[in-house]
Amino acid sequence: MPRLAPQLLRHARKIDPLLPLLLRPCRDLVSAQNELRWLREHAIKTANNSEKRSRIAGWRTVLRQLVEERTTGKPLQYILGTEYFGDLEIVCYPGVLIPRQETAASVTHLVDLLRQAEDLPSELRVLDLCTGTGCIPLLFQHEFNKARHDKGRLRLLGVDISPIAVRLARYNHMRLSNMRDLQRQERQMFKPGRDNDKKKNIAKPRYSTLDGTEDIGAGDTTEFMSADVLMDPLSDRYEMDAPPFVAEMNFENQPPFWDILISNPPYISPSAFNRTTTHSVRVFEPKLALVPPPSPGKSDEEQGDSFYPRLLTIANQVEAKLVLFEVADLEQAIRVARMARDSDKWDGVEIWRDQPELESDSEDEELQEEFEVVGQGNGRSVLCWRGPATQWLGKPASTIFTRRTPKKVWLLGQELEES
Amino acid sequence: MFGTPWVCRPCLLRALRPLSRRYVQYQTTASAIPDSISPALLSRARAIAAEHDQLSKKLANGFDARAAKKLGEFSAVVNALKEWEKANESLKELNTLIRDPSIDSELRELASNDVIATTEQFAQASHALTTSLVPKDPFENLPCLLEIRPGAGGSEAAIFAGDLLRMYQAYCSREGYRTSMLKYEHAEGFQESLQEAVLEIEFEGAYGRFRCEAGVHRVQRVPATESKGRTHTSAASVLVLPSFPNNGGSVEVEDLDDPDSDYYIDPKDVRTELMRARGAGGQHVNTTDSAVRLTHIPTNIVVSMQDYRSQPKNREKAWQLLRSRLAQARREKREEDMVVMRRNVVGVAKMGRGDKVRTYNWGQQRVTDHRSGLTVHDLDDVMGGGHTLEKVMESVRNWLMERDVETLITIEGDETKNKGKR
Ligand SMILES: C[S@@+](CC[C@H](N)C(=O)[O-])C[C@H]1O[C@@H](n2cnc3c(N)ncnc32)[C@H](O)[C@@H]1O
Repeated sequence: MPRLAPQLLRHARKIDPLLPLLLRPCRDLVSAQNELRWLREHAIKTANNSEKRSRIAGWRTVLRQLVEERTTGKPLQYILGTEYFGDLEIVCYPGVLIPRQETAASVTHLVDLLRQAEDLPSELRVLDLCTGTGCIPLLFQHEFNKARHDKGRLRLLGVDISPIAVRLARYNHMRLSNMRDLQRQERQMFKPGRDNDKKKNIAKPRYSTLDGTEDIGAGDTTEFMSADVLMDPLSDRYEMDAPPFVAEMNFENQPPFWDILISNPPYISPSAFNRTTTHSVRVFEPKLALVPPPSPGKSDEEQGDSFYPRLLTIANQVEAKLVLFEVADLEQAIRVARMARDSDKWDGVEIWRDQPELESDSEDEELQEEFEVVGQGNGRSVLCWRGPATQWLGKPASTIFTRRTPKKVWLLGQELEES
Repeated sequence: MFGTPWVCRPCLLRALRPLSRRYVQYQTTASAIPDSISPALLSRARAIAAEHDQLSKKLANGFDARAAKKLGEFSAVVNALKEWEKANESLKELNTLIRDPSIDSELRELASNDVIATTEQFAQASHALTTSLVPKDPFENLPCLLEIRPGAGGSEAAIFAGDLLRMYQAYCSREGYRTSMLKYEHAEGFQESLQEAVLEIEFEGAYGRFRCEAGVHRVQRVPATESKGRTHTSAASVLVLPSFPNNGGSVEVEDLDDPDSDYYIDPKDVRTELMRARGAGGQHVNTTDSAVRLTHIPTNIVVSMQDYRSQPKNREKAWQLLRSRLAQARREKREEDMVVMRRNVVGVAKMGRGDKVRTYNWGQQRVTDHRSGLTVHDLDDVMGGGHTLEKVMESVRNWLMERDVETLITIEGDETKNKGKR
């Protein structure tokens, strides 16, 4: 890691004596200032809430401790206990991967597309494999229900191998629905002209919609369970405590068919883990969430990719119409997109960048003739669709891998026209 | 034009000048409001009343939201006109009475006594009618953004900028206005000093109340940083922008999607950048960097937002700020065009930009507003956002109203002249 310039440190110290400490994990002044502000707010809150006031000598002491903790490289999200995922505040806990903004951007964009869809099933089923904090199904639900609509209800299921992750996901779900309830009650309370009914309204059970404002999302089901997505159900190695996915689905009485399969699985190869991850990720986040397990005879790259064939198989078993997989970069995106295309089971495949909602930079589109690449930033996810999902996404019915047609033909046509 | 009192104004009203002054609260700028109303404005008021009648009939036949809205806007003019006609009528009657040779002297005496009171009433009605014709600021009923930055004067200016921010915060909390800090950047050095702050004042009508605060605020005092005890003069600038909440809010202004409106932004014209090129991203990095920068390409207006931990929130707030700044720029441009067309007219948006509007003098414990001319001496109460600050702000609002009336009269006069030429 390069040394920080002395004048930067001096400058930082002038603004706040704690700031130079934060420059080490943050690297630049603006981020360090932001983190210091957030840590200060957190310290003040902690100090005020603390019952053992005598033990804590005010928020300044708390702040200093927090800053020192952060200096070791411990992620701010573990220190503050939450991270924002889209609009949602998700609780984070060491041992479970911190949700990433890029994931939120993809999920939000997918839901934006689906909200415009005409003929979604009356119960839309969404399966999230490798769910971690549960952030993906929770954001999916939040975004889907954001605008008033008559799109029917959702059934969401998040699956993870790690029992702590499943516990945390359930906790996050409970916390967010409590917050939603509170907000709705507040809205009802401050509704003009309903003063007399105020108390009655609050006492009503959760899904009642006395005041005519529909409790959007009330019929949704959100569940989390622990299972091993990778384990072949036919093999009889049951060493870990998580049972194989398919067996567990049966055991839990989950429906066999799901419309949408989303996954942000571990996708970093062992060599990339050492090369490209930051110190804070390597030291403080669970390797189980980042690097797929080794298996005999697989190359470094194959190990990094090893969840995707399994996920595609599961997609077929549950008859998913739409899948969205997060990937590490454009190269992995192309490898995964090829797996999907070559399986001949999908009507269309495209690649999304970090910000799929933005218009693509036209220059680099030339680089990719095989698949449509949408948005700006690094290659970030792969979207596959078939059957009814073609209409949900508003894709033309007959575009099966048009990109495979050689570009030159088209160019030739243009040349001919021009001459 | 019938019975226009414009003609008899000099003879009848001169004696009453001091009375009519009562309506002009701040006398430093000579009263711009005449005691009567110009023929041009009067005919404008009558035209509006006629349209009001038509609209009412239309509404009687079925509801039309737009007609209803317009009707509401017109009713102030219509009511003021009614009052004015009444006063005008009484005055005319009295005058006829006085001049009538057949009337007995006792009655005439009574009538001439009445003239004084009626003339005052008439002047009042004229003033009210003129004021009702001043076009309302289209953004008056919006929330606003207050941007505060240090001007000339180094670290002392940064400290004063912080003082101003706290002054407005205190004022808002005293008035019960909800605020939220969109952006807050410390300057280096003192804890209290400010590099830039954007305060959102959420109540609908905040723009109307605060727009007069825009301009350069000057401070004269011995800075905390000064060791030799010398008085310095420094400054901070305040910018006030109407704020357009993204989700519409309950205020209905023009349509956000209407390409002709001042605050329409074509999403294609905006480049969005997530501040730091973050290498591999995804699972490789767990950055907390949620900064968003928007660039409006045609005007090169850049807005960046990083105060929230949530990126969508930063993005939403950045859009809000961009929309406000762009609307402001467009408005300034339009008003500039107008100034070129008609001299003497000072645009509201441009008003105060770069001009020194107010001085806060610590040595004399006074605050002087250079537009209204009002000086108050309770400096502490001003800086604490107290009632004295409201007094100063109100004086400027009144001053602005006078300017608006002046402008209105100039414009109407010009238009009548032009029509005459054609
Ligand atoms: C990259 S994290 C993604 C977490 C979350 N979806 C998100 O986007 O923040 C991958 C998750 O997969 C889980 N995982 C690892 N191996 C698994 C397996 N064989 N079966 C199911 N889940 C697994 C890890 O526990 C971890 O929570």
